[in-house]
Amino acid sequence: MDESAAPILEVAGVTKRFGKFTAVNDVSFQIADGEFFTLVGPSGSGKTTLLRMLVGMEKPTEGALKIRGQTVNDLPPNKRPTCMVFQSLALFPHMTVGKNVEFPLTIRGAGESERRTRAWELLKLLHLDPNRYYNKNVTQCSGGERQRVALARALAYDPDILFFDEPLSALDARLRKMLQKELKDIQRSTKKTFCYVTHSLEEAMVMSDRVAILRAGVIEQIGRPDEIYAAPKNAFVAEFMGEVNLLDITAAGGATANWDTGRKTYPLNLPAPLEPGAARKLLIRPESLRFLKEGETAGNAVPVKILNEFSLGSRIQYHVEVVPGCTLTVERLREERASGEALLGWELADSQILES
Amino acid sequence: MSDKQPKKKFSFGPGLVGALSASPFALLMLFGFVAPLLCVVWFGLMPPKTFELLQAPTLENYRTIFEQTYFKSIMWSLGLAAVTVVILLAVCYPLAFAMAKIFRSGTAFITYAIATSLFVSENIRLFGWVIGFMKKGVVGGLLETWFGLQIDSLLYNVPVIVLGMCYVYLPFMLFPLVLGVNMVPDQVREAAFDLGASRWQVFRKIDLPLSMPGVMIGSLLVFVLSVGAISEAKILGGQKVVTIASDIESEFTYAQNWPLGSALSTLFIVLTTIVVFLALARFDLEKLLGKKPSE
Repeated sequence: MDESAAPILEVAGVTKRFGKFTAVNDVSFQIADGEFFTLVGPSGSGKTTLLRMLVGMEKPTEGALKIRGQTVNDLPPNKRPTCMVFQSLALFPHMTVGKNVEFPLTIRGAGESERRTRAWELLKLLHLDPNRYYNKNVTQCSGGERQRVALARALAYDPDILFFDEPLSALDARLRKMLQKELKDIQRSTKKTFCYVTHSLEEAMVMSDRVAILRAGVIEQIGRPDEIYAAPKNAFVAEFMGEVNLLDITAAGGATANWDTGRKTYPLNLPAPLEPGAARKLLIRPESLRFLKEGETAGNAVPVKILNEFSLGSRIQYHVEVVPGCTLTVERLREERASGEALLGWELADSQILES
Repeated sequence: MSDKQPKKKFSFGPGLVGALSASPFALLMLFGFVAPLLCVVWFGLMPPKTFELLQAPTLENYRTIFEQTYFKSIMWSLGLAAVTVVILLAVCYPLAFAMAKIFRSGTAFITYAIATSLFVSENIRLFGWVIGFMKKGVVGGLLETWFGLQIDSLLYNVPVIVLGMCYVYLPFMLFPLVLGVNMVPDQVREAAFDLGASRWQVFRKIDLPLSMPGVMIGSLLVFVLSVGAISEAKILGGQKVVTIASDIESEFTYAQNWPLGSALSTLFIVLTTIVVFLALARFDLEKLLGKKPSE
């Protein structure tokens, strides 16, 4: 976080229990004014519960929520300067696009012309031609259009912080990518603080200034996307980032370890010494693995059989088998094709030892 | 095997299958609904106090209706039905909301409890109220024994008729309302609340319009049923109020004037239909169901 900016939102030791089940466990973080912050976690990680507490739909069992230094634990959603874009979007099906966007202004008692002007502006900002969409029924809008209406409606509330509960998850990949970029643009141009919740770290990486990764109600790691990518704190975070190779290793003294593939153990060299007997995971990215040519050496090398190849455009992804039941993912440029049996190698510096 | 297609003797096309499966209902409606209705309408045009259908039609009965005070009983029926609808809406909406959104196992219990009461005939249930409210009945007797209060019969007035009607027609309002309230997505309500709306504003701008199909269906059911009500006014109301339904009944029974009874029935069916269609036009069901924009 940029230390010069005052936190707009402060979450201090927030815990939420439902009976005996702890959904969110002692979570603390801060969001700076104007930041795009993302909470990422698999389903059941407590991210939606955390979000519902932040907007006021649930009350924390313990801990404090502060907006601009003021504790808001007991403030209901309609009294908070925050607004949420729901996963279902929760548009008002009985109203037109225009009336949906104007809703928070109507509630505030704004006059007809003021409401219309503002709705017109917001629809334009979100690339919805007001002449076409103002009187259109929301139920007749496409998925992407509905997203934009939901965002326009939230912006009309003029909140200090805008929360998003995976609103893009129901869209197809192309539209999702486009809207991710638009969302980032809108965040930049409106200078609003956005707090986004998603289960996709990829989505989080594209848009966010900072990311917090949740597992079972606890924040595992928090930081800038490139920081997390470069140095995942543990195997959970690494696995969450997408296709990576995580090898089960047991330290064998010094900078060596045994890799248990299930059928056979391979001795490996480690990038750093480890206490003998310690069980860890060795992270190797698909792009760090390469097929060794005759006579070529690397920090580690294992014989593999190439099972499948998938074209990723400029690159090719290989699924290779070390022993039956144990496969690795390799990504190489198109020029370096390989097939059949090969020797797979990687440099020590490209591998990381992680806690599991 | 021959190359020629075997000649089709008989085929069940989709149209024929559809017509066949619709025919039992069509026949039932034709003989059980349309034909009697047409009989009633035609009987209303026969000369008074006759029992022949093959006579020259006349408007004599309708003249009688407009010359006499039948409009009073029509107004009573319409008024009592309207009051019943309003009271039941106020009573049932909160309960329906709780049943749809708050109670868990309680909803099933209330549903069974209310549905079970329908197994007992309406008249018997109304006589239950009579025992409760008559002089020295359950209410009066208890007040006298416990507090020494002597009260007269609580029966035979308009409020007790309304109470009886509300009691009898409650299920017909409650269950459609539960379905209506269920149609309002929780997140839509939460979104409105999140966008600054107060509880009352959420109710007025979100809950009510989105549950309107249930409100309309419940109100129409209760209105149509209670406008033709006869037992409540007779059993609980004594002779205090004469509804149009009891007027019609007495024309067919004591007065033996079938044509006049038929004319009254026809007139009342037309009136009720007009009221219902006016209500339906006012609240366009398609709009309520979100198929059309509101403006």
